[in-house]
Amino acid sequence: MLFTFLDNVFVQMAFFACLLASIPSGVVGSFVVVKRISFIAGSISHSVLGGMGFCLWLQRAQGFYWLDPIWGAFFSAIGSALILGWVHLNYRQREDAIIAAIWSTGMAIGVIFISFTPGTNVELMNVLFGNILWIQNSDLVQLALLNGAILAIIVLYYRKFLALCFDDEQARLQGVKVQRLYLLFLSLVALSIVLLMQIIGTILVIAMLTIPATLAGLFTHRLQIMMVLACVFTAFFSTLGLAVSVVLNWPPAATITLILAGSYVLFLPMKKKKISFHPFP
Amino acid sequence: MTIAIESLFFSYGRTNILENVRLLVEKGEFIGIMGPNGGGKTTLLKLIMGFLEPSLGTVVTEGVIGYVPQVQNTDRDFPICVSELILLGALSEASIWGTFSPLIKKRAESLMERLNLTQHKHTMFGQLSGGLAQRALLARALLSDPDILLLDEPTANIDPISAQVIFEILEDLKGKKTILLVTHDLNTIIHRVERVICVKGRVSSFLPKDVCEHFAMGLYHSPLMAPCENPFTVRG
Repeated sequence: MLFTFLDNVFVQMAFFACLLASIPSGVVGSFVVVKRISFIAGSISHSVLGGMGFCLWLQRAQGFYWLDPIWGAFFSAIGSALILGWVHLNYRQREDAIIAAIWSTGMAIGVIFISFTPGTNVELMNVLFGNILWIQNSDLVQLALLNGAILAIIVLYYRKFLALCFDDEQARLQGVKVQRLYLLFLSLVALSIVLLMQIIGTILVIAMLTIPATLAGLFTHRLQIMMVLACVFTAFFSTLGLAVSVVLNWPPAATITLILAGSYVLFLPMKKKKISFHPFP
Repeated sequence: MTIAIESLFFSYGRTNILENVRLLVEKGEFIGIMGPNGGGKTTLLKLIMGFLEPSLGTVVTEGVIGYVPQVQNTDRDFPICVSELILLGALSEASIWGTFSPLIKKRAESLMERLNLTQHKHTMFGQLSGGLAQRALLARALLSDPDILLLDEPTANIDPISAQVIFEILEDLKGKKTILLVTHDLNTIIHRVERVICVKGRVSSFLPKDVCEHFAMGLYHSPLMAPCENPFTVRG
């Protein structure tokens, strides 16, 4: 049955999208997990609905037909990331409350604008829970370009991000502009969220950003290996989830999330030998 | 003068932590900093490093600063091995691609050897004992070849061998680098330091012999600082 579906161009596109999603999920997700900012990422991903809802309303109800809602998602994600970063750097004692406020306010704005937009129940479901089977060629190109941008930034800033995530005070003593770097880091998380939400939706995107990296962390004590393993896990489990959803006719995003969570639970109690390699002589 | 603090006040919200602090530290001095918990010792170090802005007053430092935090304040679950951690101490000298020159790697190797960490260089930081982890943090601070070395309770809760290794290194550095060491363990440092600074809201400087005399007189429960004395006074 699956092989019949594999002939379907929509399913083929969806498989490619899963493979492309593995890079932001594995690379940026590893930083999110080790820096322990899953809730900041959750807040950004949910606030995206505000920008998307607004752009969807402009596009459908106000005649801005050229306006792709993904731009709304992009700007609201970056905006939320910068606000959260600024709060983290300047008002850390109120950070958790601001995370919650941005999380819920973004969603509220999105729901209101989507309610003003005619005939958008299906759109709302797609934004919230994704619809990987609607991925088009242009989306794949967009995903590939964004992946390239993310990888380039990570390669250039890897060591500084490592220092920032492990001990930002030490990084500051080494002359790193920690505040700017933290804002860049959160912007990268925002970009990854925009990329991943096209596959899995705003509600479930946090699963793809955290579970594969956490799972990879069970097998290694090196961040670089954690990133590679997390990419492999995302590629494997998301394509597996997609295949299961096609066969069982389940919603793809929810199926992928359940398979990711299930695999983590499965591996958690097992004693594992940590994988390592030593580039340092 | 390596560190010059003038009329410094610092508060968190409405809670005053440090008041009217004056402190001048000469190049190459080895100073022990002590005081009760919450007295402002770590805050003083963070002000010297520029991590905190004084509410009032000035802090001027000269030279590169190396900082050794308490090992308990680091993330022991972070996926980083000892050699990677130590190299972060030379981050300012890394290339645009984040790689390090053979010279820096050699310096790191030599520090690992000096601190008996060579056999642990590929070990995950979180898997080290408290003593080894503290030594790794010291190696990271030393890799930047700092002029000023600040240590926040480096021998608290660690094994005696590690404490011995750390003090041997500090003895070697005495006179060459300005060292400020926060500790609660007066016994261990009193014969090594040139000055003891007591921090309890205010700052007072003492010569080690005065501190010894104070305790020799059995004044275990009376404060070293009189509330109204000049915080800059060096007794003796």
